Amino acid sequence: MKILLIEDEKEISNSIKSYLKTNDIICEVTHKVQEALEKIANYEYDCILLDLMLPDGNGFEVLKTLKSLNKSDGIIIISAIESLDTRLEGFNLGADDFLTKPFHLSELLVRIHSLVRRKNFNGNNIIKFNEIQIDFFAKTVSVNDVKIDFTKKEIDLLLYLIGNHKKVLSKSALAEHLSGDMADMLDNHNFVYAHIKNLKKKLNEAGCQDYVKSVYGLGYKWEA
Amino acid sequence: MKGLLHKTLLFYSIFTTIVLLSSYPFVYWAMDNLYKEDVDEAIFQRKDEFIAYNLPNLKIEDIQQWNRFNRDIKILPDTVASKEFNHIIEQNNYDTLVSEWEPYRILYTKIKIQHQKAVLMIQLNLVESEDLIATLGRFYLGILFVLLAVILMFAKFTSKYLWKSFYDTLQKIEQFNLEKHDAPTFQQSNIKEFEQLNKSLKKLISTNIQVYQSQKEFIENAAHELQTPLAVFQGKIDTLLQLSDVTHEQFEILSSMNDTVSKLNRMNKNLLLLSKINTPQYNETIHFNLAELIKKPLDFFSEQAIAKNIKIKLEIDDTVMVKANFVLTEILVSNLFLNAIRHNVNKGSIHISLSNHTLVFTNTGIPEALNNDKLFTRFSKSNPSSQGNGLGLSIIKAIADLNQWTVSYSFQNKLHTFSIAF
Repeated sequence: MKILLIEDEKEISNSIKSYLKTNDIICEVTHKVQEALEKIANYEYDCILLDLMLPDGNGFEVLKTLKSLNKSDGIIIISAIESLDTRLEGFNLGADDFLTKPFHLSELLVRIHSLVRRKNFNGNNIIKFNEIQIDFFAKTVSVNDVKIDFTKKEIDLLLYLIGNHKKVLSKSALAEHLSGDMADMLDNHNFVYAHIKNLKKKLNEAGCQDYVKSVYGLGYKWEA
Repeated sequence: MKGLLHKTLLFYSIFTTIVLLSSYPFVYWAMDNLYKEDVDEAIFQRKDEFIAYNLPNLKIEDIQQWNRFNRDIKILPDTVASKEFNHIIEQNNYDTLVSEWEPYRILYTKIKIQHQKAVLMIQLNLVESEDLIATLGRFYLGILFVLLAVILMFAKFTSKYLWKSFYDTLQKIEQFNLEKHDAPTFQQSNIKEFEQLNKSLKKLISTNIQVYQSQKEFIENAAHELQTPLAVFQGKIDTLLQLSDVTHEQFEILSSMNDTVSKLNRMNKNLLLLSKINTPQYNETIHFNLAELIKKPLDFFSEQAIAKNIKIKLEIDDTVMVKANFVLTEILVSNLFLNAIRHNVNKGSIHISLSNHTLVFTNTGIPEALNNDKLFTRFSKSNPSSQGNGLGLSIIKAIADLNQWTVSYSFQNKLHTFSIAF
């Protein structure tokens, strides 16, 4: 997978680049609107990560140009600006997702996966991991071709874990992902443990291997 | 507290009454003197007339006749060992006609009738002093009444015309709300002091708005500028976690750093929110069902509560509608939930009730009342070890204020209660 990262803060782009690299995502980085526009015109990307405040202009210009070029690249805005207006304008101009800084890299990775899947909906919408199969659109999970009853939240968690294959996930990253809009409100990680425990139990009962590894009791990792 | 005009009126009335009453003895004294002088003058005039016209023709035999017909001018024999001569004295004589003592001014003068010595007595009846006092009193009452009526009218007039712009200004300052930053425009006044007052107020208000605005902008900018470094920090921690040889100890440190970043992030977001609550971004209000809004995050908060073995009990009227900004009301409710969970004890309880005009969150917690004065101020934490950032209640208060709802806190039977009246 190839994505374009338009971000002027070098430290952030480095972190994103190195995090995504191990998941076979090639990340091209630029910090200028002009350069971004040239790249978009010349190459095809699976996904574009776009910061809004750039040294030579506003990220919205990139969105406008994409729209006028009739390009349907998936775009995730990553910005420190968190007003409803900015969000709405972004979505109106054709952005697919909006991630407010600061965010967990694991969250970004899942969002990229999710976006790419949505964009290629005529193609591959079944995620497979050994004996596990997840239908992304039907929101169903089956182990060894037997359907298991998973709640929406559990599917979400499973996708998150599989999406961050081999990555160490901190409890706070998981907690923030699980709580969604309520991310601001969290102050205990016990419920992450409860959710993971439930998920493991269900997978185990369906005869699935235990892929969820605990890391020092402080984090988790999905690993075959 | 009495109004300015009421007080002025009272002062004027008291002052007028005192001045008028204290002048009463002097006026009485002056009137009395004037009157007596006048009477005395008349007596002397009668004496002169008597000596000039009557005396030359008067014979001794006529004396008896004279005295019979003259009550006030009498000729007495020289034997009258009178007090003083040629000097008017005052004396009370008994008036048999009305049977009372009447005051008289009397003059005794030595005269000679056909070379025989005699005494001429001229007397004039005075008005009784009680009568004078009473008359004067009635007169005074009349003046007082008229004066008070005039003062009352004057006060009405001043309040209507002179103080008009003052009251206008007063009303406008009362309605002024710094957070809505709509500086009032005062009525033009042609009175120097009021114009001065209006000018000073205008200056004060515009400075205040400016300071308030720049402070708000500062908070917003500061919080905003922090987002990027926080993102860098967060990214670095996530990257570090992926290194293959992270030890348990290092992982613990990284985890706690992670928590700190999210705490910082939360605080930052709350500060941003606080600085934005009164901006047009949240101006839009709609009618919505409050019960539904409360039930929406219930799953999430129940999950949080279960971790602390807290029981949540709802008593909600499903039909309650409110008109407010939807996003802010969601935040308000979430903060109330969070507050009730965060400051609760293990195996505690939360009771939520929603009726027509009140939303009440009652929960168990520390066994003592919180300090009501500081409760809603920013960064005042009742429990320093708690995970909160001390902004939750300020946000609740700010959102309630925006909608003109009132938030109140009470502590009874070891239960903490926060109620919102809307």
